[in-house]
Amino acid sequence: MSTLPRESTGVGATEPIRVVRPAAVIDIGTSSIRMAIAEIDSAGGVRTLETLSQAVNLGKDTFTKGSIEKATIEKCVEILKSYRQRLREYQISRDDQIRVVATSAVREALNRLAFIDRVYIATGIQVEPIDEAEVNRITYLGVAPFLNAERSLAEAHTVVVEVGGGSTELLVVRNGDVIFSHTYRLGSLRLRQTLESYGAPAGKLRSIMQNQIERTVEEVVAQLPDEMPRALIALGGDMRYAASQLLSTWNADRLGKLRLSLLEGFTDKILNMSVDKLVKTHHLPYPEAETLGPALLAYLTLARSAKLDHVYVSNVNLRDGLLQEMAHRGQWNEAFVNQIIRSAVELGRRFDFDEAHSMQVAHLCRQLFRALQDDHHLEPKHEVILYIAAVLHEIGLFIASASHHKHSLYIINNSEIFGLSRKDVRLVGLVARYHRRASPKPTHPGYALLDRESRVIVSKLAAILRVADALERSHSQRISEIRCKREPGRLVITVPKVDDLSLEQLALMQKGSLFEETFGMKVLLRKGRS
Amino acid sequence: MADPSSRYLNRELSWLEFNQGVLDEAHDPSVPVLERLKFLAISASNLDEFFMVRVGGLKLVEHQENMPADPAGMTVREQLDAIATRVHSMTGDQYRCFLEELEPQLAQAGVRRLSASDLNDRQKQVVDQFFNDEVASVLTPMAVDQGIEFPLLPHQMLHVAVRLSPREGEARSRFAIIPLGRSLGRFVTLPSDRGYCYILLEDIVAAEAEHFFPGEGVVHCAPFRITRNADITVRDDLVHDLLSEIEEVLDERKLGNCVRLEIAAQADAETVAFLRQALGVDEGEIYALPGPLDLAGFMRLSDLQGFDNLKYEPWPPRISPDVDLGAGMFNVIARRDILLLHPYDSFEPVVRLLEEAAEDPDVLAIKQTLYRTSRNSPIVAALERAAERGKYVTAVIELRARFDEARNIEWARNLERAGVQVIYGVKGLKTHAKICIIVRREPYGIVRYVHFGTGNYNEITARLYSDVSLMTANEEFGSDAIAFFNAITGFSQPQRFRKIDAAPLGLRERLIEMIDAETDRQNHGQKARIIAKLNSLVDPELIEALYRASNAGVEIKLNVRGVCCLRPGVPKLSEHISVVSIIDRFLEHSRILYFHHGGDRRVFISSADWMPRNLDRRVELLVPVEDHALKERLLQTLKTYFKDDVKSRRLLPDGGYKRLTPSTKRPPLRAQEVLYRRVCDAALMAEQSQRTVFEPHQAPENSH
Repeated sequence: MSTLPRESTGVGATEPIRVVRPAAVIDIGTSSIRMAIAEIDSAGGVRTLETLSQAVNLGKDTFTKGSIEKATIEKCVEILKSYRQRLREYQISRDDQIRVVATSAVREALNRLAFIDRVYIATGIQVEPIDEAEVNRITYLGVAPFLNAERSLAEAHTVVVEVGGGSTELLVVRNGDVIFSHTYRLGSLRLRQTLESYGAPAGKLRSIMQNQIERTVEEVVAQLPDEMPRALIALGGDMRYAASQLLSTWNADRLGKLRLSLLEGFTDKILNMSVDKLVKTHHLPYPEAETLGPALLAYLTLARSAKLDHVYVSNVNLRDGLLQEMAHRGQWNEAFVNQIIRSAVELGRRFDFDEAHSMQVAHLCRQLFRALQDDHHLEPKHEVILYIAAVLHEIGLFIASASHHKHSLYIINNSEIFGLSRKDVRLVGLVARYHRRASPKPTHPGYALLDRESRVIVSKLAAILRVADALERSHSQRISEIRCKREPGRLVITVPKVDDLSLEQLALMQKGSLFEETFGMKVLLRKGRS
Repeated sequence: MADPSSRYLNRELSWLEFNQGVLDEAHDPSVPVLERLKFLAISASNLDEFFMVRVGGLKLVEHQENMPADPAGMTVREQLDAIATRVHSMTGDQYRCFLEELEPQLAQAGVRRLSASDLNDRQKQVVDQFFNDEVASVLTPMAVDQGIEFPLLPHQMLHVAVRLSPREGEARSRFAIIPLGRSLGRFVTLPSDRGYCYILLEDIVAAEAEHFFPGEGVVHCAPFRITRNADITVRDDLVHDLLSEIEEVLDERKLGNCVRLEIAAQADAETVAFLRQALGVDEGEIYALPGPLDLAGFMRLSDLQGFDNLKYEPWPPRISPDVDLGAGMFNVIARRDILLLHPYDSFEPVVRLLEEAAEDPDVLAIKQTLYRTSRNSPIVAALERAAERGKYVTAVIELRARFDEARNIEWARNLERAGVQVIYGVKGLKTHAKICIIVRREPYGIVRYVHFGTGNYNEITARLYSDVSLMTANEEFGSDAIAFFNAITGFSQPQRFRKIDAAPLGLRERLIEMIDAETDRQNHGQKARIIAKLNSLVDPELIEALYRASNAGVEIKLNVRGVCCLRPGVPKLSEHISVVSIIDRFLEHSRILYFHHGGDRRVFISSADWMPRNLDRRVELLVPVEDHALKERLLQTLKTYFKDDVKSRRLLPDGGYKRLTPSTKRPPLRAQEVLYRRVCDAALMAEQSQRTVFEPHQAPENSH
């Protein structure tokens, strides 16, 4: 009957002690500001206590006028103030208990800084605009448990898609791995706005919309891995609403399975209704009524082009992912790191990289990074950035051998690596770029724009990458186990089971002095005795 | 009675039949005589409100063109005529009951009403003294004359019309009016050797009227009382089906119009004619009454102390054996869901929950709706205390609750002063849902304790009304309750609920869905069944859904206390629907629903009646009861009402009711008595089973 832990009566005294902390996330989206209040236990479990949602016109402002109107900003301030009050009830007040993110409507607004400042001044809430890749990563955190729970989906080639007001996020997942992720500028609110600016007759709206959607869907299909997806999981409020209307028995804790023909009928019905009528008959707030039809049409078109007869609907949203992330205190767990790595490997394959070599370098980088922990003092996250840079360091060879390190930078900077934010990707690109030739210089494009902390990180990681790359100079993966020992003024790397290290030693020389410049140590290779 | 071709019964006539049911209790010789007097008073007070609101509303739109007919096919004029006919006969019945049945019996039992001419010397002396000391200085006659504008008399109050002899040289009588006001009690106690003797204030005033007019000839005195169609906009929830039309004709002058004139039958023709002309009433709006006016006022007399043998034997509420008050309410509810059937089960655990929440250091927040509550309500006091102790307390207070406006405002201000966040209702909607949420921090996280009710948070009416309380710490209910509260307080847009449903966000749709689901199952050859207990059934969409179900063959049993526009038992329309109405000592108020649902046996409690106003313009709740034992208890309760053959009336296809009589084959069954006995037996059993285990007294766990 009840799912409540009834230990409150005291019978659970013998269970391990779980510490529970309250937390809240707020997501400032295109048509609403939503908040989830939850409890996170010491095992990383998340229990959502309360969800709130209020309609705003952020997307409408940004996507039509370029910036957020003053009245809209004040409306947001008012909503956030009321949310703040709710948080006090749960004694949530510290910054580390609250995360407030804003997606495309704020991010793309010309006056986003004014918006963020005004909110901070009025409410003390620090709004963090997050980019598409970050949204994808966080959303995946929320969806992953569902995928893993449904075996048939986990094994299939599954597309996870969310049509938002401003953009469409798309992930392709197989065996629990994200093998492709991309964000498209197809948004339900953008669609609605373009249509209005056409001033087209109502009867024509649908075909115009259909056209626009199909163009993006063609782009999507062209980019998808060869194998057609076998399932589609739709996220987002519009789809959730459709599912709640069409699936009478939908348990929001599971995936809902929705027949495409059913969705089609519903979409037609919605598109044939005026926004006013929708508000009246469906009890929807205006901003949501405006996006419902276009969003459903986008899902429908995508599912049809993939020749599916069902779509799955998930109740998961950005807030769930944010809470998951808070539950793990911002740490990337192993599974998630593996996600990022696989995504990088997928990218490498598309550019015909030498997979064995790259993975070996990455493997050596990891050993060096850990051995040098006391020297570089970097966070575990940077190990991942180094690893990814190692995986992709030679990806530029696809373009030309000459200056391939610069081509690597270019390719990496213009790709999406699932799970890494734009900022992280830039770091990866620079670390890869400095795997050979010149040491980082303030005159180098990209590097110069970094803050000091990031510049130091790039230097440290690139120095390690150079050593690892030198150890794998033979491209034969003959060096795999190493032991590191620090002696005064030098780092001694002992390599067991290899007789002749002259090739590697030479490579170390060629790789220049970045390591010594950075860590103040020379590197010496030594044969292992065993 | 009803047009046999119509699919619906007229709601006004149906309501009048319900009121006849109340009046029938006053006729019932098996009911103690003071209780019979109370039923009579209730039937009169019901009629007062009916005139003020429903008749008042109809009169406002009477001359409106293009008024649509009601669902039963009657025009406004037809309805008003039918109402007048029905009320005239009902009023006759009321006075026959009062004069021929109740007064003789009361007199025999020692409660006697005397008229001025009956008084002995001692009594006469007391009356004279009372008149001189108290009445003469308080009451002020008003001269009313042609040429002066007729004063705006307060409605539903007693007045005495006095006809004075013409001035010298004039032929026309003069008139004065003495308003009796509120400050003097109507029942004036007289000295007597035994029993209780009283005389009515209006009789004293009439007898002593010449003292008000020294030197003028008092020719004739007659008490009268008027009812206006005032306050209609304030009471919009009662007339909203008429309101859109009313708004068009809204006109201050018409609003104050008199819709009923009650006057003593002995009033002379000249006085009646004068009042009729001055008040602008039609012949049909005049009710000449053969006994005391304002029978509703006899409610006070029915409370007469010292005549307990003329009243019901007391059935004191019992503390449910599921509730161990010593253990603390949080522990009790955490262990299992608690269901209380008031007034048999005491309301005390609900009050206790709030009181403990106010003191408990781990309670973070309390959120609660308050609709009508008692004076000096312990619940309001607990909320104040909680706020003073720094808890976040939110109260949604419905100020438009009838008759309570002034009282509500006063205690609402006190709550605000104590730091409670008071929200005065939802724009355009009346908050009728009864819900209380307590957010408590416990070692394993936040737990929400929720109380859902069908009745108001009022410990006084909880002794008189049949209502249901459900208390739970269930996670999903907690989450729904918070989402519901966030929606009605404007913190959030409405969200999808997991368990509950709410009006006006699709409660009707959900009910229709569940009714249709039974229809579908019946069509597929499964067993299907609907049982519902409501106060009113008016909503045409729901009635149509029930007709569909009946036509499919679904067995439908309805227990509708009041208005029922559904016509039961009509071939090819509703032959599988039966409707009963229970009118007994406790006011049937709970709404309980049962759907067979292919054997899942779904049981719900709800705050909502099936009327358009409740489903469209009120915030209401529908809450499933899922615990097996609690479900069974509710279902058993529902079924008990249909076995009643003492206080039950069956609704006939024509809209009339037939009182059921006990069969000769089995002993008579009175549902309320059975329900009370059950509660007593359960308490007794629990007591006995406890005695087999000896437990020492311990300090309560929660003694913070």
